[in-house]
Amino acid sequence: MKELAISSDAPGEKLFLLGNEAIARGAIEAGVQVAAAYPGTPSSEIMETLASVAKDLDIYVEWSTNEKVAFEIALAASICGVRAMAAMKHVGVNVAHDPLMIASYIGAKGGLVLVSADDPGAWSSQNEQDNRYIAEQSYMPVLEPSSVQEAKDMMADAFELSEKFKQIFMFRTVTRVSHGRSDVVLGEISRERRKGSFRKDPSWLVYTPAEARKNKPLMIKRFARIKEAVNTLPYNQLSVKDGAKLGIISCGISYSYTLEAIKWLELDDKVSVLKIGTPNPLPEELVKKLLTSVKEVLVIEELEPFVETHVKAVAGEANIPVKIHGKDLIPAVGELSTRKVIEAVVRLTKAKPPVDFKDLDKISEDIAPLLPWRPPILCPGCPHRASHYAIKVAARRVARDYGKGVEPVYPGDIGCYDMGVNPPLEAVDTTICMGGSFGIANGLAHIIKAPIVAHMGDSTFFHAGIPPLINAVYNKANITMVVLDNSTTAMTGFQPHPGTGYTAMGQETVQLRAEDIARACGVKFVEVIDPFELSKAIKTIEAAIRFDGPSVVVSRRPCATEELREKKKKGEKVIPCYIDQDKCNLKCAVCVRLLGCPAIVRKEGKTVIDSFTCTGCRLCAQICPHRAIKQE
Amino acid sequence: MVKEFNVLIAGVGGQGVILMSELLGKAAVRDGLRVRGSEVLGMAIRGGSVVSMIRLGDEVYGPLIPLGKGDALVAMELAEGLRNIAYLSKSSVVILNTQRIVPATVLIGKSNYPSLEEVVEILNAISNRVVRLDAARIAEEAGSFMTANIVMLGALSAISQLPVKVKTIKESIQDHFSGKLAQVNLKAFDLGYQACQQA
Repeated sequence: MKELAISSDAPGEKLFLLGNEAIARGAIEAGVQVAAAYPGTPSSEIMETLASVAKDLDIYVEWSTNEKVAFEIALAASICGVRAMAAMKHVGVNVAHDPLMIASYIGAKGGLVLVSADDPGAWSSQNEQDNRYIAEQSYMPVLEPSSVQEAKDMMADAFELSEKFKQIFMFRTVTRVSHGRSDVVLGEISRERRKGSFRKDPSWLVYTPAEARKNKPLMIKRFARIKEAVNTLPYNQLSVKDGAKLGIISCGISYSYTLEAIKWLELDDKVSVLKIGTPNPLPEELVKKLLTSVKEVLVIEELEPFVETHVKAVAGEANIPVKIHGKDLIPAVGELSTRKVIEAVVRLTKAKPPVDFKDLDKISEDIAPLLPWRPPILCPGCPHRASHYAIKVAARRVARDYGKGVEPVYPGDIGCYDMGVNPPLEAVDTTICMGGSFGIANGLAHIIKAPIVAHMGDSTFFHAGIPPLINAVYNKANITMVVLDNSTTAMTGFQPHPGTGYTAMGQETVQLRAEDIARACGVKFVEVIDPFELSKAIKTIEAAIRFDGPSVVVSRRPCATEELREKKKKGEKVIPCYIDQDKCNLKCAVCVRLLGCPAIVRKEGKTVIDSFTCTGCRLCAQICPHRAIKQE
Repeated sequence: MVKEFNVLIAGVGGQGVILMSELLGKAAVRDGLRVRGSEVLGMAIRGGSVVSMIRLGDEVYGPLIPLGKGDALVAMELAEGLRNIAYLSKSSVVILNTQRIVPATVLIGKSNYPSLEEVVEILNAISNRVVRLDAARIAEEAGSFMTANIVMLGALSAISQLPVKVKTIKESIQDHFSGKLAQVNLKAFDLGYQACQQA
């Protein structure tokens, strides 16, 4: 049996795909020519998939320095008449928001799709924002799939729609679509490759006030056409049941939970359902048809009442006397599930819930005290563990000179090192957004008297760390900025970035160094350390904190996971550490209490190092007061 | 026609949970089954609790198994088996790897870890069939401790209700690994299969 691949032109065949692979496949089928992104869960695999077939299919794929740039890359391609896309997580769209708001006035020439991967439940994010509002604000129609198959199909159509209506489309996915898996029936791959060209047209592309005033009405007109058209798009489906009193309107992935709930409650013939695949704009004709056919309506959607608000507006405008429920019964926090939908539907019908969910909750509550708290942790041998430790030791030393009870502050950022917030490290005091650590540190410097040591990863530094670094120099913020340089974008799956020396498509390129950038920006104290040379690292960070003025320390050590992979490839051996039990003072447990390394475990009353997971980083050996930790 | 069969695979980041669901899902598609599934990647995989769901059948729509609707729970780790019991019912089958991965929060006294007896007693009270395995030992026997996840996949395949053919799952293992690694993993699969049958 010949194995099919993501790039196989095999219409009608089935592949087992991750949602993000299906989204990439849809773009491939549509003949996308330019794709740019900055990695971010749950979006990263879209661009990884495209990068893996870019050369074969003649697609230009790049990891951009940030989402704003990624979007501008795609916009430029569209202006030149080429099909293009940018992909990012929901908060990434905030970074791209600036060009987005003007791009809508421009519209699309080559099909242009912005993929926004929202994260209801905030599984891997700092918030739960609902990007349908960003789309609404910028007159951007939204396609929102209810399944992995539909994600592929919609994405394959999205570019065509964008060209037809000359508008940028948002493709909104959520974690359970992006990281869902399903069998997917493939479509045909378009081999069309256009030669893009730039046509000078200031009245369309140069935004001074006159162009804004000229182009905004054109954008509104384009959107009005789309509003008509969505009523007949296949992604919106109305199923009216004779005599049904209850109507359900379900958007995106919620539709799958709705189908399950109706089946489980055996309400198939008793409830009318409108499936929404275009929440912005709503298919108003279909909404009206449903509203006039039932007594009560329940709007089921994750996060905010976006569809609900608009449905209520439609009902009000058309004077349809129907009771509309939504967030009064469906939670606005967290992702939905079949259970949450069942509980809401049961409130509006006389249906009996198939299982007693309260009983199941009770079981979970009863066992909770028995269960270990298992937060995500830094891997064994992770250099961030050493950096966090060194920063804390150094900062506390300096804090003593500030006076009794003064605590250093550690503004943190977005990346694996965020996990240093958990015990025992407890080395992160704020996490807000990409680059936020340096910005917050800048602000703190003018308010509090304490050592302020901010940290961010290398990829984050290139993404959003440089402007606040320049700000610290310009506005004389006395802070220490540590760049945790592990030579990859680890959290999202080890993507390359400007500091790695190669591109998404595997080409070699210039390798930028954080220390060179810091010096060029006028920082007068810039040092590079290896966090595994612990005492030297602590001394250097201490000197940086004591330095009068902004200082930068680059803590450089490759990601442990990446390094293990490299060693395996080269056939190099990993030499783990071990604990000399004759020397170990069991009661001290400094290694356990201070580091939280998963390779250090308790076995039969002894503290031992698991030789399979230990990477031999020797961090624990350097802090053991009894010199009991050794390496063969 | 298969109506609905829900497999929940639980473990700790790094134990190979995602690969298990990939292999199972691929095999199911080859067998012509409709497959839905979901997992959480990213932050959650760094040593944290991991859950992957594979749902088979023509009447499955959503990516998530509803509470109480799990047909099989494959627990790669003792406490993670207990953590997911709200998905179980009397008719579910639990395949429990008795391996313990004790997090640092327990070592520093900030949380508890259940005993084997406690876990087994609670599971037995909820589900009719609980199969206990020492997957790490069986994996070593197969030739590599790295194959514990494949041992557990083999054990799952021995459950007669699983609608995927054993032969197809073995094919997807064969395709995924190359050369000697494929042999070791197939042996791990067979040993897991036998261990479950004998349990």
